[in-house]
Amino acid sequence: MTSRSNRLTSVLSDNRVGLLLLIIVLVVLIGSLKPMFFSPAFVIGPMLTSIAIFTVVGLAQMVVLSVGQMNLAVGGMAAIGAMGSAIVFQAFDVPLIVGIAVGLVVGGAVGALCGVLIAYAGVNSFVVTLAMSFALLGLVPAVYSWVSTGNAITVQTPGLAELGRSKLSDLCIGDTCGPDGVPLILFVAVAAMIVIGLLFSKARIGREILLTGSSDRAALLSAIPVPRRIITVHTLSGMLAALAGFMLGASTGSFTPGIGQEFMLQSFLGPILGGTLLAGGYVSVIGTFLGITITVVIRQGLLLFGVGIEGLNILLGTILLIALSADRIRSVAGARSRLRASRQQSPAKSKEEAVVS
Amino acid sequence: MTDTAYALEVRGITKTFPGVRALDEVNLRLKPGEVHALLGENGAGKSTLIKIITGIQPQDSGELIVNGEARSFRSAHEATRAGIGVVHQERNVITDFTVAENIVLGNTPVKGGRVQWREVREGAKRVLDLLDFPIDPATPTSLLSPAQTQLVEIARGLYTDSAVLLLDEPTASISETESKLLFDVVHRLSAQGRAILFVSHKLEEVFAHCDTVTVFRDGRSVAESEPLSNYSKDTIVDLLVGRTLAKLEVPDRSPSERGTPALELRDVSTFSGHRDVSFAVHPGQIVGIYGLVGAGRSELAKAILGLDRITEGEVLVNGSAAQIRSVGDALGRYGIGYVTEDRKAEGLFLDQTVARNLTVTVLKRLSNAFGFVRERAARATADEYIASLDVKVSNRDQLVGQLSGGNQQKVSLGKWLAANTDILIIDEPTVGIDVRTKGAFYQLIWALAEQGKAVLVISSDLAEMVTLVDRIVVMQDFEVTGSVLNSHEYDEMSKSVIRLIHEERIDVVEG
Amino acid sequence: MSARLARLARDQNTILAAVIVAGVIVLTISSSGGFLSPISIETFFQFLAIPIVIGLAQMAALAVNQMNLAVGAIGGFAACSAAVLIADFGVPPWLGGIIAILIGLAAGVLNGLIVVLTQINGFIVTLATMTILSGAQYAIVGTRTITSANWPEIAAIGTARPLGIPLIFWIAVGIAILLSVAYRQTLFARNMLASGGNPLAATLSGISNNRSLVTAHGLSGLLCGVAAFLVLASLPGANKSIGEDWLLSSFAAPIIGGVSLTGGTVAVLGTVLAATIVRLVDSARAQFQLEPSWVNFVIGAVVLGTVALDRVRTRRPATRQRSRRPPPDAPPTAAARAIDPGAPA
Repeated sequence: MTSRSNRLTSVLSDNRVGLLLLIIVLVVLIGSLKPMFFSPAFVIGPMLTSIAIFTVVGLAQMVVLSVGQMNLAVGGMAAIGAMGSAIVFQAFDVPLIVGIAVGLVVGGAVGALCGVLIAYAGVNSFVVTLAMSFALLGLVPAVYSWVSTGNAITVQTPGLAELGRSKLSDLCIGDTCGPDGVPLILFVAVAAMIVIGLLFSKARIGREILLTGSSDRAALLSAIPVPRRIITVHTLSGMLAALAGFMLGASTGSFTPGIGQEFMLQSFLGPILGGTLLAGGYVSVIGTFLGITITVVIRQGLLLFGVGIEGLNILLGTILLIALSADRIRSVAGARSRLRASRQQSPAKSKEEAVVS
Repeated sequence: MTDTAYALEVRGITKTFPGVRALDEVNLRLKPGEVHALLGENGAGKSTLIKIITGIQPQDSGELIVNGEARSFRSAHEATRAGIGVVHQERNVITDFTVAENIVLGNTPVKGGRVQWREVREGAKRVLDLLDFPIDPATPTSLLSPAQTQLVEIARGLYTDSAVLLLDEPTASISETESKLLFDVVHRLSAQGRAILFVSHKLEEVFAHCDTVTVFRDGRSVAESEPLSNYSKDTIVDLLVGRTLAKLEVPDRSPSERGTPALELRDVSTFSGHRDVSFAVHPGQIVGIYGLVGAGRSELAKAILGLDRITEGEVLVNGSAAQIRSVGDALGRYGIGYVTEDRKAEGLFLDQTVARNLTVTVLKRLSNAFGFVRERAARATADEYIASLDVKVSNRDQLVGQLSGGNQQKVSLGKWLAANTDILIIDEPTVGIDVRTKGAFYQLIWALAEQGKAVLVISSDLAEMVTLVDRIVVMQDFEVTGSVLNSHEYDEMSKSVIRLIHEERIDVVEG
Repeated sequence: MSARLARLARDQNTILAAVIVAGVIVLTISSSGGFLSPISIETFFQFLAIPIVIGLAQMAALAVNQMNLAVGAIGGFAACSAAVLIADFGVPPWLGGIIAILIGLAAGVLNGLIVVLTQINGFIVTLATMTILSGAQYAIVGTRTITSANWPEIAAIGTARPLGIPLIFWIAVGIAILLSVAYRQTLFARNMLASGGNPLAATLSGISNNRSLVTAHGLSGLLCGVAAFLVLASLPGANKSIGEDWLLSSFAAPIIGGVSLTGGTVAVLGTVLAATIVRLVDSARAQFQLEPSWVNFVIGAVVLGTVALDRVRTRRPATRQRSRRPPPDAPPTAAARAIDPGAPA
């Protein structure tokens, strides 16, 4: 009985359910006011593309948040990863998959460098990734202007346009074609979610990462290789950021230094709205996806109502602040319930002692 | 109603933290002109009381009466203004500031918002002279040794010229000579009619310098403001640990010390200051390392685990030299487990489930070839140790932070039992847990030794040592001063151990 | 201050000064003296004033172990608000200038209050306020540029050249001196440093860390407001891009200038000198006609290097604190020698 009602309350208090309900309400509300919202080609398609890209960005931040750290260079890592892919496409005419791999390696290497500085030099993750973002902010445009004219690389590798811009409706088996509004690139994000989800829910490494986030001292004294896990998450973050950068480039067809510029805020919004703790030790892949979805839905909806970019920024910043306060309220509430549990236990404990004496 | 004969009165103060009742209706009366000892084991609630008196934490219930007036301070500043000075146990200096500024911190002389540096220097110099501590007040605190830093803390407590002075283990990390100077000052202050509350683990100091005594055990006051002359060291120790222990059935143990030791240290010196530490633990043997707070016991354990640099000497495991660079090495290559002293900060993942805590050391064994955790095996392992240790949980997915102290300690130990190492180091196995659980722990440790495991127990509780271990190694000031076979006779053992501590002291003074 | 530490502090600033001298010499030679022409010097100092002030604004946050990502957004928002009030609402220019400063102060205090109330790292909080304020900045000015012709009185400050050096540079230097004295002499600043250096020790001494956080963020915001005032005085107009590129230089100056990233210290002179070095790099870039992005890369790399080195420098004392015995290089007391006869006398 109690366990069932507990489960019910825990489902209801799970903010992922709340987010899902909120998304449904928003979609219905916006759609009924502006039927244009359901246009597969003009709204749903681009919106799902944004969700796909930003979800991967959110995961890039989430993996670092899992150990209680942050990556302020997600944008820069996305930019340099995408640049790596673009350069090998342009210079060596490599197949699609090789280009992607090069991008991931470049992003991962930059992330690993941050991880090494954090884990072995013992510098705070903010500072390292902030400084790294500055260095990338300068390096990426400089390299672009060096290797290309006009500060952008347009890539025509076979398969790239299909991956970046085609929809399920372009894939037909016989006469049945997929729905028009679903971009192929969404499946890249889904693949990333599955990999990261499996990592944290099933794999030993993911378990070790979460325990490190829960208490790095205890992890160190429980034979978990803490420095190695810190490097792991930063490498992973760099790779995911690079993947997101590549997806953005593929979706527009041109790779520019501007890739990643608007990633930082989104990268925090998704995980925080989705319930990932800033303190580390708990992550939610689905939550991150839902958190990103809600921000993108709000953004699209407001655009339909003619609200400008500036209004969006004000709103997104406000959402972040509210989400932060919610994060705080959650952790305070968590501490309270723990306290309550201990109070309930202490009479029992004194009874036990009375028996002894 | 209120009696103004007391400078400070604590009436029925209770304080609960998540998972523990730190103070349970404790009382304490402090008279002007007396030096009052507050004694208790680690976790008995002494520091919590100090924090409540000085306004750093609020009490849940109970009264604090200062000079006959009920008071409750909302900040350390208010307490200082009410004439309560304090030397905290933690070394809390701001390393970016000078000695002088640290001494006046919180009471900086100011005129019109501007710091009066001359007064700062002169005030600091005055208390430093009082302590006969020859250091330039302008020295940056970052350059001081820990003992010097402790003296700065003491100077800070004296600076405010308070009617009530609380000293929370002020002598834990300073030398005999420095302690002597401190006590000279303490006696001078008490002769001036000031009330002094002295928290210490060192019974010799207490009997040499204090008039009255209050003893805390498990958050309760078991002796309340009584003349110290009513007690002897033995009766105080009885109060501190409770006599219940004596009823335990101690098994007849006489493990062999022949053959190759499982763990041996040969003349080990470390970066954090241990010098020429040697001892050995044989399979099936329980060796205890006894020492006062600050003797370097836990630090030694951490050095064995590769968390500190060993500068000289060697650690041998099963007779061959071991190169241990991390806890992972210790566990994976040498089969050494370490149950930490501070379970909340170092032993447990409080916001994770019991199952995840219990399986942390064996994740590798519980994973398949692809690196995925075999959930069924993990659940089975968790259930096995929940059952064998009798951990009181509603289910294995309960968060460890919600358990009581004793059950938390069981989980902290359980995760290392799961690792099934041949060598187990257990740091303060029974701090802050109730008497019945203590007994259960002892039985468990004896059983481990019977299985042929080498167990090293670290404790500052002599009664526990006498009950539990086969051999007592005494540490003092980061050195081993000797070791004795345990006869399980408390009086005899306490004499030998105290002699070992004192001989070292004498050596130092002569050397 | 002991001779040893004073020497150390001097070292850091001496190195920075030496770098400046070397840079000036290189630039002078490579420009065949053109760099030292009055016009060039004027330009140099004209564009140094704002970097100094925003560097100090970041320093104020770093001193309490916080960060202020919103320096640019606060400055840009304050400058644009004042510009709009003056140009569109007929507010007197002088009042507008003061309002810019007050807006900065208010935004900073707000940051501090949110940090204290949510107990969330200042970085995330200021990321959120940065987004909000830059959105608001765009909302109020849109795509237009409000020219400084609307506030001739303030613009006159920007063109004044006492002793051949722009007045706004003197203002920045004056603020630096004021801050330097304040951090040394006033209790409220010492309390901020105490909270930044060791919050626990500060609490135990009755210092309110919350108040320190709000004060420090307030000071940081106030300095952003001052920078906004200098923008009104020195730039041809205010538009949506004001403040966009402040973030890097605001961090570069204090970090290169020797401010500890763990809080508890300030380095006003170092920050000013480091801002000057950053300005020199920018001058060199202009002179050698390089991509502007290379400046960012060089500064970013230098910041990364400084941070890693800073950690290596401060690491030893951290290990030392854990050890209970005086290390061989600490001055041994009589007591220490009593414990350890081997300690050097």
